[in-house]
Amino acid sequence: MTGAPASLDRLEKWMIEALRFPNGAAADAAGEVLAASPRLNVADGLAIYQRSYFQRIARCMREQFPALCHALGTPLFDDFVAEYIAAYPPESYTLYDLGRRFPAYLRETRPDRDAGPDASETWVEFMIDLATFERELFVLFDAPGHEGRPFAAIDSPDDRLRLQPCFALGSYGFPVAVYYHEVRNGRDPAPPPLAESHVALTRVDYLTRTVLLSRAHFVFLQAMKDGGSVADALGTVSDRLSVPLPEVRRSWAADDGVRRRWIEAGFFVESGGA
Amino acid sequence: MPDSDSRTAAPDLPRLGLGLGLRNVHFGHILSEWPEVDWFEAISENFMDSGGQPRHVIRRVAERYPVVLHGVSLSIGSTDPLDFVYLARLKALAAEVRPAWISDHLCWTGVLGVNSHDLLPLPLTEETLRHVAGRVRRVQDYLERPLILENPSTYVRFAGSTMDEPAFLRALADETGCGLLLDVNNVFVSCFNVGSDPVAYIEAFPCDRVVQMHLAGHQHCGTHIIDTHDRPVRPEVWELFRLAWACCDGASTLLEWDGDIPSFAECHAEALKAKRYMSGRFDPASFGATAAAEPAAVSNPVDFLMPKVMGNTVLERP
Repeated sequence: MTGAPASLDRLEKWMIEALRFPNGAAADAAGEVLAASPRLNVADGLAIYQRSYFQRIARCMREQFPALCHALGTPLFDDFVAEYIAAYPPESYTLYDLGRRFPAYLRETRPDRDAGPDASETWVEFMIDLATFERELFVLFDAPGHEGRPFAAIDSPDDRLRLQPCFALGSYGFPVAVYYHEVRNGRDPAPPPLAESHVALTRVDYLTRTVLLSRAHFVFLQAMKDGGSVADALGTVSDRLSVPLPEVRRSWAADDGVRRRWIEAGFFVESGGA
Repeated sequence: MPDSDSRTAAPDLPRLGLGLGLRNVHFGHILSEWPEVDWFEAISENFMDSGGQPRHVIRRVAERYPVVLHGVSLSIGSTDPLDFVYLARLKALAAEVRPAWISDHLCWTGVLGVNSHDLLPLPLTEETLRHVAGRVRRVQDYLERPLILENPSTYVRFAGSTMDEPAFLRALADETGCGLLLDVNNVFVSCFNVGSDPVAYIEAFPCDRVVQMHLAGHQHCGTHIIDTHDRPVRPEVWELFRLAWACCDGASTLLEWDGDIPSFAECHAEALKAKRYMSGRFDPASFGATAAAEPAAVSNPVDFLMPKVMGNTVLERP
């Protein structure tokens, strides 16, 4: 940055480098680029931007992953965030995108990644599962939904039931949804032991719901999410879980069965055609 | 002379009165109480991609109140290409809520594809002026309306700057026809930090181009001030507002409160304090008060833009 006045392009590249890497060579050159003021010397002025760059993003990440932050504690969570944005700096104009690559980043950088599946660390698996769940929930909060239009009713024919647009499914190695809601309710749960869990996430009247599912329910809803009809999904459950189809149908349609509960929970809309 | 003609001239935009920022924590109160507020300013990025509650809220608010869209990510000064995906979404939101105007900041937010989510300062030179003016023209042509640009809070100056900020903004407004948003708190913050005179800044500012003013609280750290928007407006800034109000011919005025946000009523009461400073003579003697030093905080807080997802979700067991 010596010699003739630097171009705008060079100055911006210098400053973004100095913000991202406060201890790097770019930051060391601040005295050549910035003017000291009577109150703030060059390094102190630049430090306000450097410190705020990280803290601003860390605060937003804590809002996007509150249960993971609780599980790790804020200092350790912030350390993960610092490493994450060094590897994957923010690219989008929207802050909502900040956490998009975080679960994948945790997976890529897991300390036991070369150890093989039998030697994997359970706390690492839990972190990745929890981050994945929290990202899904965060996205669903503001995703296009069905509010303002009618949902399916109890008397809607099965062949017209479709999953509503604001709907997601998750399958995890840990009961992350229960852990998340324990934190939400102000408790301090211990990290849970390994246990498969399945959830549906949906939103009605701008309130997101996490519904715990059995494996059979998950298989059914996944088949519908893949585009299948109710009849297709019942068939898939029968095949995959080796349960006779008539029994699956009875379970679906029973008065106290999931059909009623899920319609009341806003899982379904009614498609136009038969 | 401005070279775009498919727009209302910035100085002809309406005087909206005293407004408040439209914040997530107040959504419930606003939709249930419909408080008597002159207008709302919405952070564009908080609503433009929304398919959920924020979009629903701004639609309903725009049915009852004048709304202005205020952006933090246009990055008008960046040397990266303009983001036309962003602009298309902004234009679509504007078509839906019909804002009185669209504003952003004289700044850049990133380069080389990296977004700092900060409002970074520009070297104020002829080169920068040509660069920014060209981008303002393209944005205005695309949005088919004048762009309103705000003076940012700054903590450093570039050694190579050859113009001061009022002169730069005057030249930019003259060249492009853009309007200006005079953030009185930012004037105080930036001038304190670089050791210049905020009164001289206001007196040199092209006030005939001012469409809107901002007020906000800041944190005094002794050697410098951080623009935190997390507390009431300081007395020195109110006094500076008295001067700015007299110079800006009743420009629409808005209170920003973005950290530790209190109740809607408290925010509104703070905004209404502005009425006390819309008359009377500017008193330089009351202007020089200083605050006790506090530990440094985060500049340009943005976490208020994050929805409180955890508080808005329930668990249902089988």
